[in-house]
Amino acid sequence: MKEIYLFRKIIILVLFFASDAWANRSISGFVKDKNTGEALAGVSVLVKGTTQGAITDGNGSFTLQVPAGAVTVVFTSIGYVTREVTVQSDHDGQLLVELEEDSRNLDELIVVGYGTQTRNEFTGSAVQIKGDLIKEQPVQSFDQALQGKAAGVSIAQPNGVLNNPPVIRIRGVNSISLSSYPLIVVDGVPVNTGNISADSNVPNNPLGDINPADIESIDILKDAASTAIYGSRAAAGVLLITTKRGKEGRVRVGYEGWVGISNAVRLPEVLNAEEFIAIKNESVLNSRLLAGASAENYEQFFADQNPDGSPVDTRWYDYIYRTGVSHNHGVNISGGTQNTSYYFSANYSDQKGFLVDNDFKRNGIRFNIDHKVNGWLKLRGNFSYNNTFNQSPNSGSLPNNAQLIIGAARMSFILPPNVSPFNADGSWNVTPTGQIGNGNNKIVSSYYNPLALFELSEYTSENDRVLGNLGATFRLLKGLDLTTTYSVDRLKTENIGFNSSKTGSSSTTTGGNAYNISALRNNWNWTTTLNYDTRLAKNHISGLAGYDVQKFSNSGWGASVTQAADSYFEDYQGTWGNITPTGNFINERAYVSYFGRINYDYADRYFFTLNYRRDGSSPLGVNFKFGDFGGASAGWLVSEEEFFKNSSVRSILSSAKLKASWGRVGNGNLNNAYGSLELYGASLYGSAPTWALSQAGNPDLAWETSNQTNIGAELGFWNNRIQAEITWFNNDVNGLILNAPQAPSKGIPGDAILANVGSLYNRGLELGINAGLIRKDNFSWSAGLNFTSVTNKVTALAEGNADIIGTTHVAANAFNVTRVGHSVGSLYGAVVDGVNPDNGRVVFINKDGKKVQFTHVAGAGDYRWSYLDGTEAPAITAADYQILGNALPKWFGGFSNSFTWYNFDLGFNFTFAGGNYIMNGTRATLLDQRYFNNSTEILSRWQKPGDITHVPRLVYNDQLSNGNSGPVSTNVEKGDFLRLQNISFGYRLPPGILEGSGIGSVRLYTQVSNAFLWTRYSGLDPESSSNSNSNTSPGVELNSIGQARTFTFGLNLGF
Amino acid sequence: MKNKYILSGLLLILSFTSCDQDQLLNTVPPTQLSSADVFDTPERILGLVNGVYKALKSSSFYGGRYLLYTDVRGEDFINITGNTFTGYESWNNSYAPGSNDIINLWSAGYTTINQANILIDGLQKNTGKIDASLELQYIAEAKFLRALTYYSLVTVYARPYNENNGASPGLPLRLLAETTPANNDLARSTVAEVYGQVLKDLDDAEAGLPQSHGNALLNTTRAHKNTAIALKTRVYLNQNNWDKVIEEAKKIVPQTSAPFSATTGVNHQLQDVVQIFAGNFTTTESVFSIPFTNLDNYGGQSSIAYIYNTNSEYYLNPEGVYGDAQWGVSDLRRAWLRVTGGRAFLAKYGATAPFLNYIPVIRYPEVLLNYAEALARKGDTRLSALLLKAVHGRSDASFVFPEGSLATSEAVLNTILKERRIELLGEGFRSNDLLRNLLPIPAKGSASLSAERIDPRDENYIFPLSNAEIATNKLL
Repeated sequence: MKEIYLFRKIIILVLFFASDAWANRSISGFVKDKNTGEALAGVSVLVKGTTQGAITDGNGSFTLQVPAGAVTVVFTSIGYVTREVTVQSDHDGQLLVELEEDSRNLDELIVVGYGTQTRNEFTGSAVQIKGDLIKEQPVQSFDQALQGKAAGVSIAQPNGVLNNPPVIRIRGVNSISLSSYPLIVVDGVPVNTGNISADSNVPNNPLGDINPADIESIDILKDAASTAIYGSRAAAGVLLITTKRGKEGRVRVGYEGWVGISNAVRLPEVLNAEEFIAIKNESVLNSRLLAGASAENYEQFFADQNPDGSPVDTRWYDYIYRTGVSHNHGVNISGGTQNTSYYFSANYSDQKGFLVDNDFKRNGIRFNIDHKVNGWLKLRGNFSYNNTFNQSPNSGSLPNNAQLIIGAARMSFILPPNVSPFNADGSWNVTPTGQIGNGNNKIVSSYYNPLALFELSEYTSENDRVLGNLGATFRLLKGLDLTTTYSVDRLKTENIGFNSSKTGSSSTTTGGNAYNISALRNNWNWTTTLNYDTRLAKNHISGLAGYDVQKFSNSGWGASVTQAADSYFEDYQGTWGNITPTGNFINERAYVSYFGRINYDYADRYFFTLNYRRDGSSPLGVNFKFGDFGGASAGWLVSEEEFFKNSSVRSILSSAKLKASWGRVGNGNLNNAYGSLELYGASLYGSAPTWALSQAGNPDLAWETSNQTNIGAELGFWNNRIQAEITWFNNDVNGLILNAPQAPSKGIPGDAILANVGSLYNRGLELGINAGLIRKDNFSWSAGLNFTSVTNKVTALAEGNADIIGTTHVAANAFNVTRVGHSVGSLYGAVVDGVNPDNGRVVFINKDGKKVQFTHVAGAGDYRWSYLDGTEAPAITAADYQILGNALPKWFGGFSNSFTWYNFDLGFNFTFAGGNYIMNGTRATLLDQRYFNNSTEILSRWQKPGDITHVPRLVYNDQLSNGNSGPVSTNVEKGDFLRLQNISFGYRLPPGILEGSGIGSVRLYTQVSNAFLWTRYSGLDPESSSNSNSNTSPGVELNSIGQARTFTFGLNLGF
Repeated sequence: MKNKYILSGLLLILSFTSCDQDQLLNTVPPTQLSSADVFDTPERILGLVNGVYKALKSSSFYGGRYLLYTDVRGEDFINITGNTFTGYESWNNSYAPGSNDIINLWSAGYTTINQANILIDGLQKNTGKIDASLELQYIAEAKFLRALTYYSLVTVYARPYNENNGASPGLPLRLLAETTPANNDLARSTVAEVYGQVLKDLDDAEAGLPQSHGNALLNTTRAHKNTAIALKTRVYLNQNNWDKVIEEAKKIVPQTSAPFSATTGVNHQLQDVVQIFAGNFTTTESVFSIPFTNLDNYGGQSSIAYIYNTNSEYYLNPEGVYGDAQWGVSDLRRAWLRVTGGRAFLAKYGATAPFLNYIPVIRYPEVLLNYAEALARKGDTRLSALLLKAVHGRSDASFVFPEGSLATSEAVLNTILKERRIELLGEGFRSNDLLRNLLPIPAKGSASLSAERIDPRDENYIFPLSNAEIATNKLL
């Protein structure tokens, strides 16, 4: 008990002033937030054991009548740890009370679909992340900042290009052909997600349109009992974004800003000019020797000199990467009266990535208002406008970019170091057709000079977006509310691309090229709900019934021009010789839904929830437009039972809640709005119109259904100082909509037909722990850990369980296979059994288990493919490929620590994941046997009989031995990592200093993002994904850029 | 207080009635047609016919790159860039089953075949929408395109017919319209069975195709009777079936001395040798070509004009036919080349984007040379030599064939084979001429890149099958 007493004393900061005892006196004081120092309005102040109380006003002030003698005053506010302050009988003067935010208050409201619930009542599985945790992160969109913050939620950055959508997976990969991206609902409106750029060079994540600093909270719904209210759209989980609203009280003004610098990290070490020349010539010589040809004058690669006579030794990284400087500013004004409250904000962000020419800009405003018209009508409005600008060269990192010649990442690795970027006169070193000159090398390169290429091209994607809604709530009867909300999300995207006709551009030979593509994504949503809430003795019943209609109308159009009339023209609007349409699309999709929910709880101890939704979705087959979904859940707050309250365990286990749920949700998130139809597309044959089968349809195409079970416990120890939640989940997904593979010889477009075949499951365990380890007057330490283990397994696929091959950009990169009995998108390829020490040839193991060695060049009497005894062997084909590892992390999570000491604060956030394997395709590039530069790994190549090494003998133009054409097991590596995602250090100016300045609070901080990475993975980043959000080809890094390390310095002001 | 019930009631009613559920959920794509409607009108059916040609025009296929693959394998081109995306693997015979070209060509071919099968099937199911004669014509066109495609695939993915009279494994023979998951697995038919189907289709096509389409553009870009006949001379030549080559050739080359021309159907004959690749793409010399327009063309690595010429990725091997005496310096066919820095590049297909030169599939001189070769094999060196001279003479009238080059039937044959390398350079013939004669693919190369000699016994004498097919067709 002494400890608890002490603890209580620590967390309450009370200033005492000596005085005489009064009888039935009045005390007054001031309540503020311990972290921000801001005044807290609406705090309930109650004399313990009485009904005497008061509420703090907009300035955090209160006055309270108290009886004579020492009294205990209780301060309560939602979201804060309740405090009890003992006021001595002789107390006089002002009472200053600081409340500490409670990360997991049981009375805290959780946002659920179409409503809110208290944490006690909530029996599903969800995590709430406060906006404060993400607003200082140097990110473009809020979703990037959620890494490692919630159990069950895996978030990975596929590359370091600004505003690239992260890969989000809630409780594993829950589909194969449909999106596994969660449904994102902003203030009640489901919004567009993914990459909406019409230009494959530059990404555009529409979630970047939402200013992270405007977000109050993000609620992640994970189990079917929570998500079933979103029916068919919820199979991959739901993220509910709630933006900030005004609070009753005085007007508050805040400024938040930061500046940051970003740099590339973990760039592979490549050969210098001298090493490059030696290695490449060695490979040419070897190919001559193997062919039995003359070695005379074999050299192809030669040193070059700068004008000052020094040897050319170009470090291409210096021209492709840079130090990016970013800054971000936001101002907000909020406040309210009893009837009207408002929140207004403006933000400006200008971010520069570490890749040259990669920029992101956002400016936007938001206005949220709540108004109580009268006793029965409340209005609620949100409005935001944003302009978001994305620009990037082709980084090679986005889906279907990995093999492009203009990909910046690959250029940075493979351009020859013995070639200068400049000619002696300072001009670019380029050939007349635009490629890079070759110095004294005798080879011809297909690559461009990156300096010229970047300078002579520009790719941008810019959004103008209005997102707004207006809702009204009618109180029909006591406890019965009708709410109707109409929302509009109008997103206009303009994509502009340009490649100059000047020499050095990738369009030199087409006389330049420019294109403008305009796209409009118009989304309206009308939701009407009826809510009923009543209490009868110990019974609490609430119900919800609703109707929701949403329609997305998307269209895009544009044109591409070539043959500039003059190289002066850099815009589509210039004069050009040729024009063709590009970027055209038009489609609609609609959802019509009816839903309901009933919550019942008894004695605040037993909780039950039922959900139901009937959903109609336009992309599905004509025979299966509608589906029925629902869930049930129950919770038992054990710690409210008398036996528990009287039990001795209570001194340790202070609260305990058990919960379980089961539900069925659907997935009809077809990428194609018309995916169920057999369609014929039109085109031109010369100038004659054509029709041809463009899609084989399936009128019986129905939902994927996911049956989800969730069993968990929420436990609080030592007066809830340590809170833990442990959950077991099982998602059985059936009727998977698969692009059922068809033999290419059937000639069906895409070699696939969508069908409901196949099933998979995700099973796992989630653990979340939050602990306030030390809470002293001037020092506190809190820590959080979340850990998820998930097993994904495919249990059935299309007819005959045919494998689904996942390719990366081109057909030859068949790196992934989805096969029954394994996780979705497992890595596969040819099994390599090292390098034959006798001859330096790579040795494969074929499907019969026999060893087959390969040489790119075989002379007379020799074979390209042979057994180790030298006899001819059949070539290794896909029939010999084996599963090489699972590509999905089996465990992941985050670990955070935060410390405060006087006015200083320090935080560490770690993220980790593992149990997966990665196809390091970039390693193949770095060992490429063409004229490419190589990583220093190549120096350990086989050179003479007896050499034991894993790098085969160099043979010029050999693209097979190291996995450049066809996957090999030598490039598969373990992906386990621990990352210091963020380390921050802050200082809050003491209020005394600011007194009289007109400034309420000042916080300064500095932080490092992606500070350290511990991993044995040799590639750039273990989170890389060259195929971004693809389900069937995860875990591939190929010619993409890694993650930035960013240092930021920030300033928050409150007025 | 009543107001609130009225207001909320109105809103509720409005929200339910403002949306027509059926209309919302039953969306149809505004830019595509449902299968139920596509055979509805004569115009759409004609569109489907053109759709099969469009499939043939895939960039991986007769849109150009098929020609590139089959040409650069031969000894007349030297690769410069070593780029696998522009045919390098074909050039040095290093294709793997997973190579992009292998997978894409296979897929493009079979897409054409299925579009043809869908057209044949749909016309049979939707009779009466167009004239019966037109229906027969369209089926004949589909069969012509199916035959051309099977022939084009079987000559690269299967062992040469002449090795064993087609006893080797050939291709899966797909003759049904495929739009559902049924019939996925299908074993390979023999090479002979595939040839049998090709010839049957061509015989049917010859019967059903019109004499002419009425204008030069359609006569060049759509098949007519003489197109089918011309292709038959090529197919029979591949089977060493000289009698049938002669029989078919006589239908469109009835003369026994120059000038040669077709006297029935489209009046095929040789035309201005420069113009046919420099602007006049629809002369009667072009028996069948793939059209290009501003709205339907290929650029970048999808265009062989870009690869050969604009980006200069292959030059003519000085030790190949480019340096041969048979290709005289005054030969007008040198206008098909662009010589720079001592290297000659193929310029037949244009130089700058957009690339609008038609890609030839069949030209009349090929028929003459097919005919000539068959005659030479049968010992008729007189007419054989006349045909050869007709081809050569139109671009180099003053050329005198050296003594001996026309002396024996074997000499004539060799001269004809060489003439094919000049006349049909870059039109997709050379490697097949080697394979059908079971000759090795000679070594070639430059100081930096080289390709080894490949003998008929070698595994890479032909292309490997597509990994995508291997992985999905269990009966392959």
